[in-house]
Amino acid sequence: MAVTLPAVVEELLSEMAAAVRETARIPDEHLSSLKFIFGSSAIQALDLVDRQSITLISSPSGRHIYQVLGSSGKTYTCMASCHYCSCPAFAFSVLRKSESLLCKHLLAVYLSQVMRTCQQLSVSDKQLTDMLLIEKKQEA
Amino acid sequence: MRPRLDRDVLRMAETLRRVLSRGSAVGTGEDTAEVGPPLLLLGAPGSGKTALLFAAALEAAGEGRGPVLFLTRRPLQSLPRGIGGALDPLRLQKIRFQYPPSTGELLRLLCSAHEAPGPAPSLLLLDGLEEYLAKDPGPQEAAYLAALLLDTVAYFSHRRGPNRDCGLMVALQTQEEGDNGNALQLALLQRYFPAQCWLQPDAPGPGECRIRACLEPSGLGPRTEWCVTFQPDGEMKITRWPTQACDPSSDKSSSSGDQP
Ligand SMILES: [Zn+2]
Repeated sequence: MAVTLPAVVEELLSEMAAAVRETARIPDEHLSSLKFIFGSSAIQALDLVDRQSITLISSPSGRHIYQVLGSSGKTYTCMASCHYCSCPAFAFSVLRKSESLLCKHLLAVYLSQVMRTCQQLSVSDKQLTDMLLIEKKQEA
Repeated sequence: MRPRLDRDVLRMAETLRRVLSRGSAVGTGEDTAEVGPPLLLLGAPGSGKTALLFAAALEAAGEGRGPVLFLTRRPLQSLPRGIGGALDPLRLQKIRFQYPPSTGELLRLLCSAHEAPGPAPSLLLLDGLEEYLAKDPGPQEAAYLAALLLDTVAYFSHRRGPNRDCGLMVALQTQEEGDNGNALQLALLQRYFPAQCWLQPDAPGPGECRIRACLEPSGLGPRTEWCVTFQPDGEMKITRWPTQACDPSSDKSSSSGDQP
């Protein structure tokens, strides 16, 4: 698995985006495909989207990241340019075991882009640096 | 936020290929504004990784597409092999060297790349990635560093504007075979670096040093082989390897050259 999604998933996401633009909702057959590919993560990701748990954070520099408020109340950082999430499931199931393509947070980020339901937050360049460095602080 | 891969993959590390094909003097018909996907340069100690990175830096600096950022743990003690006579001070001026002394400092540099003033680089190079990966880093630490490198060049590309993407080349020293921790780490890094270039010292002639470079553009393009020769006078020569395709059965020491 590479850091990009398989073509079939890319295709599904772009079909979903087109459907949302036209009918403002996601067709049932797309939801079934999503559940078929991602299993229970699909439900959990849709739940995160419903609760508006995804925030696109940008600074005046133009750099941006995503933060996802997990169901446990913990916030995870997702990179905007490649597959990376700071949650334990990403480290274990995606990176170590290669069992899943994505964690529910990254899937929620993709879905929130498709459904255009991202929260937006502007921070200073310095604050964005600290958010990107979050990993270090958690370890310390 | 769609990861940029498909449109880039076939361009397969243009910069390195230009460096590699310089010796065979191909025409200049190719669009030089294109960069390839992130490239991982792999080889044992002394296999010419630094020399090739430095050559790529000089090549990119000569294209007039903007500055080149070269990250390495410590200053080069001497010019890499093969650079000697060809050094153009104007090109060298366009290469900005930075020496993050620790993993923490490297992470800070990448995380704060958007705070740095001045034009965004056209190429980011990192020599000695292994020095920034702790003895036994968890997969998340290695992935975090790889993802940050990708995020930094994605940001540089954004700042440079359409069709002026920033390239990324990272050199990693390969270890002894049969080390499981390293196999996992390498597999993980390969996810973030779709293209890889394997360097292998080849039986040298008297007074010269020959490296076999095998470029693998992540399965979507042909695998090509090159011969890098450092001659006694210090000059670096790059030619196509006589046989077209790599034959995995013939190179005993690079069992890890094939992707799973
Ligand atoms: Zn996650």
